[in-house]
Amino acid sequence: MPELRGSYGEAPTNVLTRWFGTPDLHTLDVYESRAGGYAALRKALLDMAPADITNEVKTSGLRGRGGAGFATGTKWSFIKRDSPGPKYVVINADESEPGTSKDRYILENSPHMLVEGILIAAYAVGANQAWVYIRGEYDEPYRMLSAAIEEARAKGYVGPQPMGKDYPLDIRLYRGHGAYICGEETALLESLEGKRAQPRSRPPFPAVKGAWGRPTLLNNVETLVTVPWIINHGGAAYAKFGTEKSPGTRLMSVSGNVNKPGVYEVELGQTFRHVIMELAGGIARLGRRDRHGRPALHRPRRLPPAQVLRARVVWQMHAVPHRRRLGREDLRADPGQRGIAGRDRHSSACFGRPAERALSLRPWRLRRLGDRLDLPALS
Amino acid sequence: MTALPAHILDEIRELPGKYPQPRSAVMPALDLAQEELGHLTPEAMTEVAAALELDPGYVEGVATFYSLFHLEPIGKHHFYVCTNLSCALRGANEIVDHVRQAIGVKEPDQVSADGMFSYEEVECLGACEFAPMMRFDHRYHYDLTPAKIDQLIAETKGAISPPRSPGRSAAKPPGGDAKTRIRQGSNQPQSSTAKSESPLPDPPQQVGRGKLSSPLPDPPQQVGRGKLSSPLPSPPQQVGRGKRSGPAPNKKADA
Repeated sequence: MPELRGSYGEAPTNVLTRWFGTPDLHTLDVYESRAGGYAALRKALLDMAPADITNEVKTSGLRGRGGAGFATGTKWSFIKRDSPGPKYVVINADESEPGTSKDRYILENSPHMLVEGILIAAYAVGANQAWVYIRGEYDEPYRMLSAAIEEARAKGYVGPQPMGKDYPLDIRLYRGHGAYICGEETALLESLEGKRAQPRSRPPFPAVKGAWGRPTLLNNVETLVTVPWIINHGGAAYAKFGTEKSPGTRLMSVSGNVNKPGVYEVELGQTFRHVIMELAGGIARLGRRDRHGRPALHRPRRLPPAQVLRARVVWQMHAVPHRRRLGREDLRADPGQRGIAGRDRHSSACFGRPAERALSLRPWRLRRLGDRLDLPALS
Repeated sequence: MTALPAHILDEIRELPGKYPQPRSAVMPALDLAQEELGHLTPEAMTEVAAALELDPGYVEGVATFYSLFHLEPIGKHHFYVCTNLSCALRGANEIVDHVRQAIGVKEPDQVSADGMFSYEEVECLGACEFAPMMRFDHRYHYDLTPAKIDQLIAETKGAISPPRSPGRSAAKPPGGDAKTRIRQGSNQPQSSTAKSESPLPDPPQQVGRGKLSSPLPDPPQQVGRGKLSSPLPSPPQQVGRGKRSGPAPNKKADA
């Protein structure tokens, strides 16, 4: 593991990252003994009915962490558990949105958390097989996750009788090969089926007809990683974090010209000021040359600095007007590998979702920032 | 004479059984072919199609869609340098300039004279807190500086000097090009690979098969950490930078 740049340790809002940084957390032994791992799986398989699990997730108010923010429990309940034939859980680990590195942070630190989350989700929706679609460039996360799955298999958690329960569970990996559009769920499914990743029209939704034409639950890595905590502590406890409409915590990737770039776990409802000025250590290098500009939400909208810092990390940001839909960097010539069409299509699909995922500060637009705000003194 | 050796084709024929529908095997199969040959030739794609009982045009259609499939020859070691926003803010353009100069090419996907290196600029690789960064030989390299690039190139050349060059202490004798290419591709910093049990800790084509022994024998970022000064042909800072000074600002974006 490289050095940790982001949240870890005992902060009260570190729901996901509490044990990050523990030596060898990526091994099953440490995950189980130190971090209380697989207790949630045991509880879910042995003490809870599938419907109870889904209800618990509903109670938590957890919303999909891939960007769209759809209610996770509701999504789970769309899958008809008793319908005949195979069903699948597909995990979107094709993290490609520029400036976003939270899934990598999870996978490299605590791959077993994902394994556990997947197993619980699969049991809850009645699937026996899960497929993790991981982006092809993620070599290290791929290795970590394969190793974790193999460890879990050796221990019997992945296999015909996990925790002694007669319910076979299996997790497989599928590597992407470089296509930004695969982050879109139906494009991902196409890719998983061995086709060019071109989004499908909906309906039918993946819950009815997803991977290989079967009912499929599609969740982001971060979403499923949250599930073990919810099972362990209860949905109500999770809902105490954050705001009423945006419960919980989430990981934010902060990069660019900040003093401490990293992946930070933020309680929803916090301000960007907290994220940028405190967690990420403030804006760096506001020197003579850099004093022209403003911080910008990377995508999909950009805001003047004062508004950015006042804005809160929540799902709806209606109060904040957007100025321009596409930034200059979005229009920058694409090297041609992926095709403008795919990018535009996807970015318009995700336009309107909360502007919270990725944040980059652009030094050449920092004009007036120093005057308007109390910036910490910078060396 | 086939483009792909028999054992690769055998492996490809076994792939479809691992998926709910055989078509899903097409990307892992192309991956195997590419690892073997370095890039995907039309003949190789035809053979993959035959092995999977698919239409060759279909297989080619898939290969052309995904950017990690190379249809033109690339160097044995390929730099994927991120030039997306977060990295650009922290000097990725200078890194690209330096890579270009260090391996002696002018354009992306040109191959250096010795056939060893090539580069391309890619979109975000998802390690923005370590910007500027790149992917090289199935590893991420973080917090790049021109000096780190130089050291990496020197180490790569040292570890896999071309066949016939004497005085190399590295493990394997240089044999069939493609094979060594994969191996060195996957555990690139030879020196620090202390306890790799198998020569191939992780061939990327092991999709869904997974018998990986240990996660990563060694941390990638140690490449180029320590003593930056020693074997460098060129002084770190000044190289390839003359015109620009100061921190990251990206000229293009400024204009």
